[in-house]
Amino acid sequence: MTNLSFHEKSAIGTLIALWFIGIFYFHSVWDLWQAGMLHPASMTGLATGLTILLVIVLIGYHITIAVTARPQVDDERDRLIAWRAGNIGGVVLGVAVIGVVVQIVLGGFFGQAFADSPMLIANALIAAVFIATVVELVMTLVFYRRGV
Amino acid sequence: MGSNLTNRVRELRDANDRMTQQALADAVGVSRQTIIAIESGRYSPSLEVALKISRAFALPVESVFSLGNL
Repeated sequence: MTNLSFHEKSAIGTLIALWFIGIFYFHSVWDLWQAGMLHPASMTGLATGLTILLVIVLIGYHITIAVTARPQVDDERDRLIAWRAGNIGGVVLGVAVIGVVVQIVLGGFFGQAFADSPMLIANALIAAVFIATVVELVMTLVFYRRGV
Repeated sequence: MGSNLTNRVRELRDANDRMTQQALADAVGVSRQTIIAIESGRYSPSLEVALKISRAFALPVESVFSLGNL
């Protein structure tokens, strides 16, 4: 890990934490929906608890890597990688959101349950953000390791 | 990914009293990881950084960087 920059270490830790907590969240949402218990109160509690957990994990992780790493400059390569990865993440988010909109509009074709359920729509949008963020973090690591 | 720009940064570092990557990074104002990426061809620096690297070796930029086969 000594040749990894702070941004690389940050991306690795954030990706791992986000992946596991995110998968747990969507798995829980699926179980709630299957049980007919996916309503605002249950979803709010679940989302709030996992968000707090994610924030605590990420703060602790970033403090650790910041304290153990030598001071580094934020240089042009870091900015270029952040811009390109963010750009790709933004495109993925746009495509995913449009996908959700298509599902809503064409709900009659793909299943009216989706279009009739604000909770499913909300979680579909959260999934879009999750996927876009995961893609951005993966591309960040790809650019750092393979070049940009 | 990767570039057509080749460089002699590592060779010139070794020739300059085995200058460390960190020392060159400090002189240029970038991170050591960026110097590593430049030496391995994974990153093409901006004109400004290329000129700063060349100045660190007291050489013209064409002596440090060159275009590979297009």
